[in-house]
Amino acid sequence: MKIGGTYAVPFVPERAFELLQDPAVLCRCMPGCESLTKTGDGEYAMQMKMALAAISGKFDGKVRITESQAPTQFRLAVEGAGKIGFMKGSGLLTISPSGAGSNVQYDGDVQVGGTIASVGQRLVETTAKMLIKRFFDKLGAET
Amino acid sequence: MATTITKPETLFGKRVRRQEDPRLITGTALYLDDLKMPGMHHACVVRSPHAAAKIRGIDTSAARALPGVAAIFTGADVTGLGAVPCAASIPGLRVPHHHLLAQDRVYYVGHPVAVVVGTDRYIARDAAELVEVDYEPTAAVADPEKALAAGAPAVHPEWPDNVAFNFHQEGGDTEEAFRQADVVVRQRITSQRLIPTSIETRGVIAEWRAGERSLTLHSSTQIPHLLRTLVAGILGMPENLLRVITPEVGGGFGSKLNVYAEEALMAYIAMKINKPVKWVESRRENFQATIHGRGHVDYFELAALRDGTILGLKLKLIQDLGAYHQLLTPVIPTLSVLMMPGLYRFKNVNADVVGVFTNCVPTDAYRGAGRPEATHGIERMVDMLAQELKMDPAEIRLKNFVHADEFPYGTATGLTYDSGDYAKPLHKAMAEAGYEQLRREQAAARAEGRLVGIGLSTYGEICALGPSIALPAGGWESATVKVEPSGKVTVLTGASPHGQGEETTFAQIVADELGVPMDDVLVVHGDTAVVQYGIGTFGSRGTAVGGSALYYALQDLKAKMKKFGAMMLGTEQVNFSGGYCVDEATGKSVTFAEMAVAAYHAKKLPANTEPGLVATHFWEPPNFTFPFGAHLVVTEVDRETGAIEIKRYVCVDDIGRIINPLIVDGQVHGGVAQGLGQALWEQAVYDESGQLVSGELTDYALPRASRMPWIESSHTETPSPVNPLGVKGVGEAGTIGCSPAVVNSVVDALSPLGVRHIDMPLTPEKIWKLIEGARA
Amino acid sequence: MISNAFSYHTPETLEEALAMLEDGGGKILAGGMSLIPLMKLRLASPESVVDLRRIPGLKAITEEGGAVRIGAMATHHEIEISPVIRGKCPLLGEAASAIGDIQVRNMGTIGGSVAHADPAADYPAALVALEARIRLRSANGERTVEASEFFVDAFTTAMEAGEIVVAIEVKEEEASEGFKYEKVAHPASGFPVVGVAVRVKKSGAGIAMARIGVTGMGPHAFRARNAEALLEGGAGAAAAAAVVGEGEETNSDLYASGEYRRHLARVHAGRAIAAALTRAL
Repeated sequence: MKIGGTYAVPFVPERAFELLQDPAVLCRCMPGCESLTKTGDGEYAMQMKMALAAISGKFDGKVRITESQAPTQFRLAVEGAGKIGFMKGSGLLTISPSGAGSNVQYDGDVQVGGTIASVGQRLVETTAKMLIKRFFDKLGAET
Repeated sequence: MATTITKPETLFGKRVRRQEDPRLITGTALYLDDLKMPGMHHACVVRSPHAAAKIRGIDTSAARALPGVAAIFTGADVTGLGAVPCAASIPGLRVPHHHLLAQDRVYYVGHPVAVVVGTDRYIARDAAELVEVDYEPTAAVADPEKALAAGAPAVHPEWPDNVAFNFHQEGGDTEEAFRQADVVVRQRITSQRLIPTSIETRGVIAEWRAGERSLTLHSSTQIPHLLRTLVAGILGMPENLLRVITPEVGGGFGSKLNVYAEEALMAYIAMKINKPVKWVESRRENFQATIHGRGHVDYFELAALRDGTILGLKLKLIQDLGAYHQLLTPVIPTLSVLMMPGLYRFKNVNADVVGVFTNCVPTDAYRGAGRPEATHGIERMVDMLAQELKMDPAEIRLKNFVHADEFPYGTATGLTYDSGDYAKPLHKAMAEAGYEQLRREQAAARAEGRLVGIGLSTYGEICALGPSIALPAGGWESATVKVEPSGKVTVLTGASPHGQGEETTFAQIVADELGVPMDDVLVVHGDTAVVQYGIGTFGSRGTAVGGSALYYALQDLKAKMKKFGAMMLGTEQVNFSGGYCVDEATGKSVTFAEMAVAAYHAKKLPANTEPGLVATHFWEPPNFTFPFGAHLVVTEVDRETGAIEIKRYVCVDDIGRIINPLIVDGQVHGGVAQGLGQALWEQAVYDESGQLVSGELTDYALPRASRMPWIESSHTETPSPVNPLGVKGVGEAGTIGCSPAVVNSVVDALSPLGVRHIDMPLTPEKIWKLIEGARA
Repeated sequence: MISNAFSYHTPETLEEALAMLEDGGGKILAGGMSLIPLMKLRLASPESVVDLRRIPGLKAITEEGGAVRIGAMATHHEIEISPVIRGKCPLLGEAASAIGDIQVRNMGTIGGSVAHADPAADYPAALVALEARIRLRSANGERTVEASEFFVDAFTTAMEAGEIVVAIEVKEEEASEGFKYEKVAHPASGFPVVGVAVRVKKSGAGIAMARIGVTGMGPHAFRARNAEALLEGGAGAAAAAAVVGEGEETNSDLYASGEYRRHLARVHAGRAIAAALTRAL
């Protein structure tokens, strides 16, 4: 599933880029992220607990940052698997100045599998968009 | 002894209520999941969440540690057992070894990887979640055309082109036909994957008796005897120590015309743990791991003269097989090819089938099995030709039908159509619908800007399967009739009806032939320890083949009863009628019950006659039967939303002679419902990574009672000369006739916008986009 | 149902129920039409389930001082047939009668539906059009939230942890108002692909008041205030319907894209406005 959008954040590109590469910030902003541990260059192990309405599930996964070109773009890949299914997403984030802040444009692919894919079809896209929105909302609140 | 004998009214052709219904509608019937055995354990199957992956390892330690877990089986445990069988014999067919559990790779979402057995089903399910399978996902391909493209991921690494077989059939001289043609219409037509969705999912209970070394397998199946033979083969056990019992079966539609891994697995597990074990499929498993139907991409070319005379047909058929061959998977598209000429006279057909592996659950027989795809194709193509030539779709059909005086009629694909009068149901449907008036109303509606369509389909099908030469395991059927000493009659049928109403239909046949009340007749089926070998119920064969076997068994029995009657009346010549043997010379008679007593008490026997009244007959039909009919559908499309309303549904089905019109109505209604399902709502959707995203009934749209149109159903009756009952079979007629009539109707509605073809299902958004596209 | 193990509680009072939620591992069970399927699929695996059915008074549908109070445990069917609803806020009854099928309407409750906040639930369209208020109770007391502020996002409401929906409060519709709930049902799930709830009050040849609630189109139900303003400002129904959903996010799935949903919201808003006007006095 293709997914994309643009969010405004109140930081200059350099600062936005820096925040987006900071595992502590990523973990604070990713909905449900419980821990993010560096495992290599641009690679992190992640534990997530997703809760949406009555649905809940724990995911173990990885976050990988590649194709970094400070301060304008990088690729963020996130994958996780748990009992209720697995997800894999990879997106190119492009940061451009906009007024006093920046616009972060993302363009990516999300693949979902397991129970959530087979029974959650009508909600997968809505949910993915919502989680990304929450991520940027939280990012915007960083200082 | 009575002398006044009134022949009872014949039951053949009467709307007799179904004998089986009271237990079904009062909840007293016993389905698989109603059965409980002492000490019974429960199994849960661990399935792949990936469409394609290597299995790097399976860790069952956490699952084994859960209290109540009795055993866990993985691929390594079953390597030495036989494979899930495929009965197809297409030359050059590539057959992947279909292990009962995945070995080092998984090939589709739902592929069984392990089985967990626990003391209850909750424990089994909990433990299944604790089985850790280490998958290394690999590239998957879920679309058959993409699977054929160069560089596509290989479903089975040993066959990188994903081709399981090529099959070619031709008749006549198609190239010449196309050279002579004034017009050729071409179209790519898909027949989407469907999920059979019987209300009762599959289920198995296996019971091992160690002392007897015998195994009883209860399974919700359409084919108990074939299942016994094939599971015995998989396990390497003597067939006569395996007993298969089918409890009440809550629908099959072809999906239970199969031998599944779970059936053999449960049998194996029951032996291993020495306990009865039950497995009942969940709805999600049913969607992921029971066969799907259809899955065609067809490229058609139809050649014709300007006057509408069809000359020939070319077809390239791409069949999505899924990852494995189930029992008949590769056979299904070959049935499509056989039926390509439809009801038409043209003698030139050239068809190429390519069977393609995909990372999906296998396709196989689903109500219609190959014939709906064929009928949809030819009926759409004929409509496109009519549109091209600006002819009325009824006129072009009438022009091309095989004539009523040409039967038996040999087709370009090597079949011999048994009997028919194809114009008759079409004329009748047009008369009942008021075709001319409908066309006038349509013209008036169009003038107002409304989108009203009238669609026809004149379908033919190949039923009552069939001669043994055409079926992998024999095409006959068996029946035993026993007159008990008390005069009650027990029928053992090898056909295994599971909702088709043969307990009633067969009792009607018995009552007519023997002159006993229907209530005295018990029809028994679905237990290999009780019933002689049989083939099963599928391909609209239950009554046409099973009922005919019964008819002949009844003749054998009557002949024997007449011997007893003649002996008792002290004469040579007696008539058997209405439950009596009558000496026409004296008018004296003996009753049915008197003859039964005499046969069992055996104080005196006719010459060369054994005691008892039992007759068994195995009967093989000399040919298939070929039902036909005409469906006419009136639709209106909402110009603003694309929503489709079915305003009239008129169908005239000629299924040969009709034994019970009430049951036939039910079969037509159910068949049409499933046809509407394909035309309008249903589609199994795998995404690009091979996930089945229409994975539950929240997304997969079945036809519902509230959405059904009123079905104006009637019949013409052209008896089949193939069997003594003159019946042709009705199980699949509604499904086969329906979808092209609906699509033709909607295309007709949209034809003022330049629309020529729409692939199923006709979802409102698809229609809206066509309307918007025309506006742009 | 082969769910994960859970403990099951049937408190007799709201206070007891609230205490049971304190540890955070519990889920409220109302009619179970969303929670039970999720538990069957093991997408939801709560440690404990707190069933509200034994708590007295939560089902009552009453009317006082120009407002209707609907107990959270009132079922869709009870709402559909309630004389109070029929007389005082018939739009809600019309929406209730469009939910799922009769089995769902017999079991499902309004409190469960609003708390679950499925983006394709029927009620929210009517509730935002009715300017309903959701009454919430927690250990700290009660508060109310406007429906248009309650539905925040898909499956996301203004509820805090430890709160229970106890009632829905709706101001009486005036007898002269016209109303209509129009729905395109998904052929499989029965959820609205879009659902549009409309209230209108005529004033001479014009429209004095218009309320339009839309569900199913986007991640949460919303009021089409732009269209309401056009109607109240004298623009025709067609012009008003044409702006419904402008600037709103859309959902999409196998059955209907976001673009199509927005289109359907507009077509059916037009039809609902027309139907409501014919009912207005």
